[in-house]
Amino acid sequence: MPASIPRYLTETAQAKPDKVAIVSGAQSITFGELYDQALATAECLRELGIAPGDRVGVCMEKTIDQVLAHLGILFANAVIVPILPRLKQPNIRHIIENSGMSAMITDAERLGEVAGFGDLIKLITGHGEISQDWPNLPYLRRFMQPRMFFDRISNDNAAIIYSSGSTGRPKGILIAHRNLAEGADIVSEYLGTREDDRIGCVLSFNFDYGMNQIWQTIRKGCTLYLHDLALPNDLFSLMSKERITALPVMPVIITKMFDRRLKVSTSAFDFSALRYVCTTGGRLSADMIADLRGAFPKARIFSMFGLTEAFRSTYLDPDKLDAHPTSVGKAIPDCQVMVLDDNGEECAPNVVGELVHRGATVNKGYWHDPENTAKVFRTHPRFPGETLVYSGDKVYRDDEGYLYFVARADDMIKTKGFRVSPSEVEAEVVRHPDIVDAVAFAVMNIAVGEDVACAYTTLSGKPLAEPVLRQFLKSSLPNHMVPAILMHFDGFPVTGNAGKLDRKAIKHAAFERLGIAPDTGITPPPVSTP
Amino acid sequence: MVNNELELLIDYVRRETGYSRAIEGDEDLLASEILDSFNIVSLAVFAQEKFGIEFEPDELVRDNLARLSNLVALIRRKRAEAAVKT
Repeated sequence: MPASIPRYLTETAQAKPDKVAIVSGAQSITFGELYDQALATAECLRELGIAPGDRVGVCMEKTIDQVLAHLGILFANAVIVPILPRLKQPNIRHIIENSGMSAMITDAERLGEVAGFGDLIKLITGHGEISQDWPNLPYLRRFMQPRMFFDRISNDNAAIIYSSGSTGRPKGILIAHRNLAEGADIVSEYLGTREDDRIGCVLSFNFDYGMNQIWQTIRKGCTLYLHDLALPNDLFSLMSKERITALPVMPVIITKMFDRRLKVSTSAFDFSALRYVCTTGGRLSADMIADLRGAFPKARIFSMFGLTEAFRSTYLDPDKLDAHPTSVGKAIPDCQVMVLDDNGEECAPNVVGELVHRGATVNKGYWHDPENTAKVFRTHPRFPGETLVYSGDKVYRDDEGYLYFVARADDMIKTKGFRVSPSEVEAEVVRHPDIVDAVAFAVMNIAVGEDVACAYTTLSGKPLAEPVLRQFLKSSLPNHMVPAILMHFDGFPVTGNAGKLDRKAIKHAAFERLGIAPDTGITPPPVSTP
Repeated sequence: MVNNELELLIDYVRRETGYSRAIEGDEDLLASEILDSFNIVSLAVFAQEKFGIEFEPDELVRDNLARLSNLVALIRRKRAEAAVKT
């Protein structure tokens, strides 16, 4: 069988069928059961008319059944399209239409949001009780004989993950079976993930980072503990009781774990089993590092960096964290990370250039978007016939070769672990009847990455009551996209010639009113002192 | 008796989240996604300030906070304990 998650699960299920693979609350499943149930799910999907290559949405709560939905789609030779449960109908419709989705697996909580799409796609429930309206996978699986019919090659499509872009609607990143398998191998190699690990998984399975925890678990035959982080004490209890050895997080999760508003005490818990904490998706502050070390003195801390187009690019050796606390580290195994100038030449140390990623984990491109694919997935004369990812991100390398992130190429807002497109926020804000124009932008807030801020002008010339405006936005935007900062302007400056909004001047004025330096929200400093 | 604590908490959740439909005391607000992991902490902070109590670390758990009826029970117990002490 080619390099793929179906192959890895087949191997692990044969080698240790009785080992527990996933634990979720009171439920658990062994690798043998996971394999049988994944094949049964694939058989259900085939019976329901899912053909090889079909795109199948998954809009579910994090459960063992969600993992089975993902695996069933892969074993059915179809393509996973994760859909963030909190997305609202216009965004879900875009993903359905853009991906050409044929079916969606969902659960009772989300049926209200997606039931209206029943005439566009086949709706299937992947979790919970049976109903007369929709086929239910947990029920149907009981009647299926597990049968192996996976026949993809490793270059075939395995998943499309939608990610906000700076212009227009979210773009789908096309991921091959090979990419998922490489991701499992490479990450478990540098983290040292092994068979006796117990991974505490607070991440969502709608993004590559969270999904990679499933793939590593399957590859290494370790055990994954699912947990939804709400109150830190519940996570700490689980970690202590289950003797969790690995904890993948993001900066915003660290903020939640050590929320200053709560009396958080970790002294009552036993974290002696914890070997490592790894984090990606934003900068680690000195406070975050101190909190992690205070609570988990034995754990090694891996700071990592990646682009959705190539999953993961760099990680920092935990032993170098003190010497290079703001560095994103060096290239992951089997990948090369270059810093190139405008002529495609490698930059000298301490000179800022573009991060270009070469090697494994380069995804296939944007789904049905040759124009944007050609901009980012390009060749380099030194590596003929090879596709590299030109990230657009500005970075530099120090004298020892450690990489530092300087600025993103786009004006995306990174908040609470999500990428938010300013234009998507603005489009919803101007739907308010009294609002004329809106400009959304990022304001640095290291606790959550960045805050979404939005300046607006009104017909009446008066500011809107914030709770009212927020409530209006919450009806059409998921919570993480609702601006934390709303600012009324009497009027917006425009650029001379075309009368276009002068976004730069507007942001500048907004930062002045907020009393912060104008560029702190846009460009993190090259080297910040912790 | 009017359940004042519950009404104050429901009112707070509505203001904080913009949720306009009915909220039941025994509804799991995390499962129904009315609250998320950020504003459930805000709810705990609000309850502490509003009712003049302080939660112990082991009281700040999902079981006590995700259902408002459980939170009301905890608030009443804490206030009764405080009244005994003084």
